[in-house]
Amino acid sequence: MKTTLRNPYIYLAFIVPTIALYFLFFIYPMLTSAAYGFTDWNGLDRRNFIGFDNFVSAFGDADFRHSMFNNLYFILFSIFVQVPLIVVFSLLISSVKRLQGFYKTTVFLPSILSTSVIGILWGYMYNPDVGLIASVLRTFGLEPIYWLGESRWAMLAILIANAWQWMGFYIGLILAAILAIPKEIDEAARIDGAAGVQRAWYMTVPLIRPIINVVIMLSIAGALRVVDIVLVMTDGGPAGATDVMASYMVSKAIKFGDYGYGTALSIIIFAFALLLTALYQLAFARRQERVEY
Amino acid sequence: MPAALRKSVPHLVMMLYVAVILTPFLFVLFSSFKANNTEIALHPFGLPKSWKFSNYGEAWVKAKISVYFWNSLYLAATAAATGVLLSAATAFALTRMKFPRASAAIYQFVLIGMLIPGNVLFIAQYLLVRNLHILNTHWSLFLPYAAGALPLSVLLICAFMRSVPAELEEAAIVDGMRAPGIFVRVILPLTTPALVTVFIVNFLGNWNEYLLAQFFISKDALRTLPTGMVQFRDAFQTNYALVCTGIVFSVAPVAVLYGFLQRTIIEGLTAGSLKG
Repeated sequence: MKTTLRNPYIYLAFIVPTIALYFLFFIYPMLTSAAYGFTDWNGLDRRNFIGFDNFVSAFGDADFRHSMFNNLYFILFSIFVQVPLIVVFSLLISSVKRLQGFYKTTVFLPSILSTSVIGILWGYMYNPDVGLIASVLRTFGLEPIYWLGESRWAMLAILIANAWQWMGFYIGLILAAILAIPKEIDEAARIDGAAGVQRAWYMTVPLIRPIINVVIMLSIAGALRVVDIVLVMTDGGPAGATDVMASYMVSKAIKFGDYGYGTALSIIIFAFALLLTALYQLAFARRQERVEY
Repeated sequence: MPAALRKSVPHLVMMLYVAVILTPFLFVLFSSFKANNTEIALHPFGLPKSWKFSNYGEAWVKAKISVYFWNSLYLAATAAATGVLLSAATAFALTRMKFPRASAAIYQFVLIGMLIPGNVLFIAQYLLVRNLHILNTHWSLFLPYAAGALPLSVLLICAFMRSVPAELEEAAIVDGMRAPGIFVRVILPLTTPALVTVFIVNFLGNWNEYLLAQFFISKDALRTLPTGMVQFRDAFQTNYALVCTGIVFSVAPVAVLYGFLQRTIIEGLTAGSLKG
């Protein structure tokens, strides 16, 4: 009877299909990426090994540098605008009894929808002729703004649409952490005479700091790989003003057939992601011990 | 500050936020029934003067939303189901069968996949499906979708299967069942809740996927809803009511699913991101 769960053929039959598919679409592309990134391949001609040339030209490429800054805007916007709002909204939702479920469910909704639909939806909101925002501006007698057509507004417009989509998701994360704090702690603070705002700031926020760090990390990771919303709303325009690293990579590879260069860019994105994860681990790992109640 | 006022402040702020979330949806819903752009521009907040239900028929048939919709539905469902079944089989072998050293190594190997941000592999996957000559077929989406689900699914299902007590399968072994029988008739039924959660998370991911669908498929009849919608918007730039109808078609099924399964969906998605 002991042999039943030790049959190597059955074991392999259960594992090989998964590993095969995983190898083909994860490991193999990873290996070929590492190889293509060091070539000048354009999809047609012979591949030539060119060492680090792609990486050198990437950092000399003004358009790519510009797209890196746009990713940076995504990061800064999420850390300094979204995360504080997320924490405040989570605290507010946790502080009420009535309608708590309704608030949570509603604010979470946008994050389960397709980014492409969100992009279309907000493109329509921003539309200078029929969009809701233009209509509101008109009632105040203001001229409609071409939000997505002017380079000084387009980035902000995308950042707002992106925040609208994702804030509810992180509120769901933080709210779960707040609600997991035992009621006794809150009651003790209440008996000690701490007001609602004091309890939130001196008690709840320190207790959920680990999960806030996770949210910051997830936001940074999300900001580094953001691409769908840019492609759908502006396709990187006007004139490359809203290109992010990933959209620039896609357009280099698909529109211009620059596979070698595009792959090098994707390796740079990967390196940024690893670097920031490692920095985060170094900076916060020690403080990451579980909060014991 | 009086107690009643203090109590209503959180509600006031949250209602404002809820309004910000819901207004675009209502705006789109009302617009989708309006006759033309002028009516949308002149009465952005009002209900339509006469409800144009014909917009929906027009979008469904003429704008091929029906085609995109079914493509999305069957691709998202089959890829998610395949991913879940493969992951469940693998998780069973890794957690219940007695090959501890091999299992530990394979588990680590599969988890490497979670370190890689999705679109980093985009170009390499594009070249891969091109070399496999499946570019512009549904295989070019089905295979990456099923594969993409594997690392997180294996992780989540393994965690769940470890909690199934060993006595159950010992009893099954005594009854003369073999490993595949134990998997299908003992472990799968016991882990169904976890499998459903993982399936829904994967299904939503596939249903919403844009990047691969946009660049791996160029035949209009094969497009999925997210890319078909963008195509549709670009083609009907001037008819916003029709574009809004398309948005409703895309949002409604997810919203209905969400209405029934909000707990599962919220917990599944947030758990997925924390583990990842």
